[in-house]
Amino acid sequence: MADLISLKEIKRHYDVGGELVRALDGIDLTINHNEYISIMGPSGSGKSTLMNMIGCLDTPTEGVYEFEGELVHEMDDNQLASIRNRKIGFVFQTFNLLPKATALRNVEVPLIYANMAKNDRIEKAKKALIAVGLEERMHHKPNELSGGQRQRVAIARALVNDPSIILADEPTGNLDSKSGIEIMKILDKLHHAGNTIILVTHEEYIAEHADRTINLFDGKIKEDRQTKKRKRVVT
Amino acid sequence: MISLFWENLRISLGSIFGNKSRSILTALGIVIGVLSVTLMGTLISGLDRTFEKSMSFLARDVLIISRMDWFGGDMDWWELRNRPRIKEDYVEQLREKSQFVAAVAPMAERGGSIIRGDKRIDTRFFGTTPEYMATNESADVITGRYFTDGENRSGARVMVIGGDVADALFPDEDPIDKYVKIGSHKFRVVGILKKQGKFMGMFSLDNQAVLPFGTYQRLFSRRGWMNVRVKVNTDNYDEAKEEIYGVMRQLRGLKPLEKDDFAINQSATMEAQYKAIKLAIGGTGLFITALSLIVGGIGIMNIMFVSVKERTKEIGVRKALGATQSMILGQFLMEAVLICLIAGLVGMGLAGGLSLLINQFFPSSMPVGLAIGSIILSVVIGIVSGLVPSYQAARLDPIDALRYE
Ligand SMILES: Nc1ncnc2c1ncn2[C@@H]1O[C@H](COP(=O)(O)OP(=O)(O)OP(=O)(O)O)[C@@H](O)[C@H]1O
Ligand SMILES: [Mg+2]
Repeated sequence: MADLISLKEIKRHYDVGGELVRALDGIDLTINHNEYISIMGPSGSGKSTLMNMIGCLDTPTEGVYEFEGELVHEMDDNQLASIRNRKIGFVFQTFNLLPKATALRNVEVPLIYANMAKNDRIEKAKKALIAVGLEERMHHKPNELSGGQRQRVAIARALVNDPSIILADEPTGNLDSKSGIEIMKILDKLHHAGNTIILVTHEEYIAEHADRTINLFDGKIKEDRQTKKRKRVVT
Repeated sequence: MISLFWENLRISLGSIFGNKSRSILTALGIVIGVLSVTLMGTLISGLDRTFEKSMSFLARDVLIISRMDWFGGDMDWWELRNRPRIKEDYVEQLREKSQFVAAVAPMAERGGSIIRGDKRIDTRFFGTTPEYMATNESADVITGRYFTDGENRSGARVMVIGGDVADALFPDEDPIDKYVKIGSHKFRVVGILKKQGKFMGMFSLDNQAVLPFGTYQRLFSRRGWMNVRVKVNTDNYDEAKEEIYGVMRQLRGLKPLEKDDFAINQSATMEAQYKAIKLAIGGTGLFITALSLIVGGIGIMNIMFVSVKERTKEIGVRKALGATQSMILGQFLMEAVLICLIAGLVGMGLAGGLSLLINQFFPSSMPVGLAIGSIILSVVIGIVSGLVPSYQAARLDPIDALRYE
């Protein structure tokens, strides 16, 4: 019995001009707190679709999805928005920061939707930015930051609402390898501090940071293996 | 929800001022619409107040018997021309035959110039009796006196002048007991009338002079206009008017089937006419204004569709971070309302400025209710024209939105 996420027989089908695309075709998966998982697989194998499913951006065509005991597959749009806001932190390949807002304001956004008072909000956002080593860049806008720094702002934004899980779809895909390694160090640190992390990657050396690697092929799990011993962190 | 409100306000301001020229062009339609609404309203309310003020000199209980209707009627002009003149002895006949006459006075009127040394003024002068004062509540002598019955009977060369005439001919001396001339006739000024201002803001009621009726008749005989002013002694104006009609038909010697060859005018006829004009102006104005506001609203809707399209990715990100549909809806609705509100305020400001300018020529000032109304109107236009684009934004699928390039 999983204590965080359980997917049973999850299917996600698309009807593209009369032809059925099985982006996810029967996924069974359980994830526990403080796991560090990498998802790999060829292009088009359904990695992003699975991440969106876990992140409650998408709902399954078929199957049962339980998140901390809540039945996600039965939720309406407002409930999905709420669970995304409270329990999930997204990190995107293309950063997806709001271009006109400073780093600090970008990190504040999830807290605004959580209706947090201004002072608490700023304090929390600053803490998150300090956690990713950006205390010097809080008042910079995205176009004044390097790619690696932008992704660190995105990570700060993902973790600012103390989510149950951080989802990163190819977080290093748009970065040079040096910046990529920096980002991975931050994710390692976050995992070490007790966070649950799932990341999608094409790179073996990135995947090696995780404790468990899932291989997708044609919308199915081809392989799911523990690569390191899970280390429980006492907080 | 407070923090969300400020965030939405901030986003909207950022979006509006981030695309300045686009926002200005979009808002222009609303600016023009609100400008014309408020200006129209301001003018009409100015017209209303002027009319009411002007009407006070034509009290409701005063009937004015003339050859012609003030407002045309359906008579042919030659028929009107051939109407016999109003005779001065109607005054005494009316007093005798009507039970509703409180006061009655003849009013002979013509234009001409009054001269004092090297100064002159083109004006209108009236020949009337001392009883005129009793038929006109707003006529009042503030300096000097009115002429007497004796002066009237003897045809004394005395004159009571309006404020404008006093100002023009006696800029720095007291006019009382000074002499002025009409043509070759010399008059002594005995009194000055209280100022009344302009009628409908157009012509001054103070540019006039009043002479004894006897004097007027002797010097100017039958030239000019002749009316009879009757102040009635009852609140039942219709009944009084009806009776005086009968008396007048009798005085004119009209047979039962013959048409009237005189008219009884009163402020009510003017009021009715005024209302018709106001309705016409207001109706046309409203139509044009509504049209410009609709065009303005379409402009806002269009730009909101563009804004939603441009920010599709941002909408996706916001949804991923936990924004609900209503939060996104609120964000875009706020933007539409804000553009309209700013445009409305600008339009109102322009209307206020213009009405100050117009006020130099014609009394006009913006009523508070109108100002509040046009602000509410702007907000309503913002909501109506922003609703569909905002709803579209709110309903976007988060994944599709995130994928959008
Ligand atoms: N909205 C959609 N409509 C139709 N088909 C879709 C849609 N989204 C995804 N698919 C299809 O689902 C399959 C899985 O797509 P997905 O984006 O999950 O792949 P991926 O593993 O993330 O690939 P990549 O490594 O290139 O990012 C693909 O065949 C894709 O064409
Ligand atoms: Mg992908």
